[in-house]
Amino acid sequence: MRPRVPSERSRRAVALTALASVGLVAGAAWVSRRRPPRRRPEGSRAARQVRQGAALLAGSVLADSTMEHYRGGFHNRTMFVAPVSSGLALVSALAPGMMTRRARQAVNAGAVGAGLAGHLFHLRNVLRRPGALSWESMFYAAPLGAPGAMTLAGLAGLAATRLETGQPRGAEALRAGRIGSLGTVAGLLGTTAEVALLHFRGAFHNPMMFAPVILPPLAALAVADAARRPDRARLRLARILLRATAAMGLAGAAFHAWGVHRNMGGWRNWRQNLQVAPPLPAPPSFTGVALAGLGAAHLLEEARR
Amino acid sequence: MTRGIPDVRATEGRAPDVFSRDGWVPMRSHRDGEDVDFAIVGTGAGGGVMAAKLAEAGFSVVAFDAGPFFRPLADFASEEREQDKLYWTDERISDGRDPIELGSNNSGRAVGGSTVHFQMVALRFRPEWFLARSALGYGRDWPVDWREMWRAYDEVEDALKIAGPVRYPWGPRRGRYPYRPHEVNASGLVLARGAEALGVGWAPCPIATLSAPRGRAPPCVYRGFCKIGCSTNAKQSILNTYIPRALAAGAEVRDLAMVARIETDASGRATGLHYHRGGEWRFQQTRNVVVAGYSIETPRLLLNSAGPAHRHGLANAEGLVGRELMVHVNDAVWGTMEDEIRWYKGPPSMAVTEHWNYEDRKDFHGGYAIMSQGPLPTDFATSMVGNLGAFGMDLRRRMAGYNHMAGLKIVGEVMPDPENRVTLSDETDALGLPVPRITFGYGENDRAIGRHARGFMSEMLRAAGATDLFETTGTAHLMGGCPMGFSPQDSVVDADGRAWSCDNLWICDGSVMPTGGGVNPSLTIMANSARIGHRIRALAARGELARAA
Repeated sequence: MRPRVPSERSRRAVALTALASVGLVAGAAWVSRRRPPRRRPEGSRAARQVRQGAALLAGSVLADSTMEHYRGGFHNRTMFVAPVSSGLALVSALAPGMMTRRARQAVNAGAVGAGLAGHLFHLRNVLRRPGALSWESMFYAAPLGAPGAMTLAGLAGLAATRLETGQPRGAEALRAGRIGSLGTVAGLLGTTAEVALLHFRGAFHNPMMFAPVILPPLAALAVADAARRPDRARLRLARILLRATAAMGLAGAAFHAWGVHRNMGGWRNWRQNLQVAPPLPAPPSFTGVALAGLGAAHLLEEARR
Repeated sequence: MTRGIPDVRATEGRAPDVFSRDGWVPMRSHRDGEDVDFAIVGTGAGGGVMAAKLAEAGFSVVAFDAGPFFRPLADFASEEREQDKLYWTDERISDGRDPIELGSNNSGRAVGGSTVHFQMVALRFRPEWFLARSALGYGRDWPVDWREMWRAYDEVEDALKIAGPVRYPWGPRRGRYPYRPHEVNASGLVLARGAEALGVGWAPCPIATLSAPRGRAPPCVYRGFCKIGCSTNAKQSILNTYIPRALAAGAEVRDLAMVARIETDASGRATGLHYHRGGEWRFQQTRNVVVAGYSIETPRLLLNSAGPAHRHGLANAEGLVGRELMVHVNDAVWGTMEDEIRWYKGPPSMAVTEHWNYEDRKDFHGGYAIMSQGPLPTDFATSMVGNLGAFGMDLRRRMAGYNHMAGLKIVGEVMPDPENRVTLSDETDALGLPVPRITFGYGENDRAIGRHARGFMSEMLRAAGATDLFETTGTAHLMGGCPMGFSPQDSVVDADGRAWSCDNLWICDGSVMPTGGGVNPSLTIMANSARIGHRIRALAARGELARAA
């Protein structure tokens, strides 16, 4: 019989965590490798990346809000607004040709509005509970920060719509890049705040849970710094950290899939565990924000030329 | 395992792997004739912790338990009567002015003891309670500094990964609970609303069930069967925390091994244990004995272990063994809510107010904690039959409202009284051992606590919107019987848990508690046992302990 010492973590978990960490580092190294400069119009690239970011954010919100509001039994009809609004925003980002430009603007402005209203609805839910703004409510009542992702999706969608009309140059690109950077910084920090709260709720039981509360603020700092003085070194650092954040968002989904397995019944009990385990669609929202941030970085790059 | 007589499992070098349905872990095994360092009687909150602490300190340890070695994933059913197998239901005589109902909420018969079915409430003693006599004017002082106990609480709370509130509203600042609080269920929110309406504090109850994964144990799925044995391992009982640790550190656990008598030599020192296992009587030699059989079986074992130097029972020179037995007042108030509550969902007690433990402007000694409730149907029906005499159509009508019921229940402090005690009767059980007699009666202060609490809980429930209120009374837990104290004249054991009149006999369970406090005792028993474990280690390092060659 194989001697087995009880340990806090299974060996498989340790091995997979190590593997994932190595993957993260390697991925970060790969995306940050030096490449010969490519001559491409930066503006169109920015538009594409911002739109991809908007799509990821909207997709993440669609999946997450559908799951969570389904879990809440859609007991309030307004809970349908989140999946509908984010769904429309997703369509506008993935298939812009399906809507007129005006419609896309309206859909994304709607997502911004729905996100802001969502904060208020969630706040009302929190304040109605005993303990009001207590840790208990912050952990388990309607999450105060979550609707922010929809606001971000809408903003990114609006920015993408704006960028597709023409490629800003010079001072205009600088202004657009700075506004985009500001949105990226706000998005990264807001998302980090929510992750910090929820990972704290999970007692950071896996050390990898610290990654999404450390890396994105670093990226936010670098982006802010690059927006202030968009020189080559600063932009390069911002891009590296944004790419790393984007990779981390995808890796996060894999970690959350592992988290599903650690609940009673694991994946065999997916119908319950997808709802109670760490949310699979949540981490890619980091990827969405980071992609939009890369778009902003391209605009800053364009302004530098 | 099927119904009926369970099999001996921990034997031949292996013990059940509690995280599996049918697996095993290796176990170091000792021969009966081998002189082990420590033989521990009982593997619950006291003995289980001690087995791990001593084995991890490098001692050779054999821990005995009268009950079976369960694997929760395979052996526990979601059925109340089936799970009666977790209780100690041997014959006992209960008498006195207020005979205690013995069984479910004050006993356990399994490896892991009663923690296998405890309510998981993990509250600390109020610091002043360790000086109840000198600081608060009632009961007895503990021979232990509260800060030492609080360090031990830190240790066991981490070992059980207690899920507790981020800030605990009562008592001195404490470190953060290892895991975050669970989502309070609707039943707990009734307590919260009542508390807020009356202007007293409340908090998510710190409980011993996981709010995040831990090793091979998944987080709690809120099935609500905690009190009859958790079948997912989310509950952190001694069975799935300290016992695996003890086994890994080299302790041997013997399940279904009933210890009947401690053998002593002419000098009065313990030499070994007579125990019954696998249908025969056996004898284990040992250098030291630790008894952790809880407040009835510990005194019973000592009283049944008279020897040449211990005429009236082991460590009973002053006639103190079995005395000062305490319970907790477990009175409750129940009511009907307009909303559906479905109180069976989640752990039974998810919200707590310790207001009356920390508020001293009151007309009785001691205190009580109020907790929200979630009794399973049979449990609740039984309590209504017993307390209200509800039966037939009346009982049916009341049970039809089960999903709308809410309730509050206290754990109220009972004063130590030498006349409340465990003795041996003339009757014998199936093994030929004397059946214990438990004599108990409430004092005036104990009744005052019950009255005060029922009045206060009624106010709370009404303020939370409950109607059709009714009260039930009862007791929970056991404490005392072999109190620790300051001298051989006032106690059975010293602050190290060492018997005054037998220097290789130790007690580390709830029976050594000099006072009961107004909180569930399991965490205090574990902390005290961990503390005693540290003391034994220190004594051994100083060469003040008998050790096997």
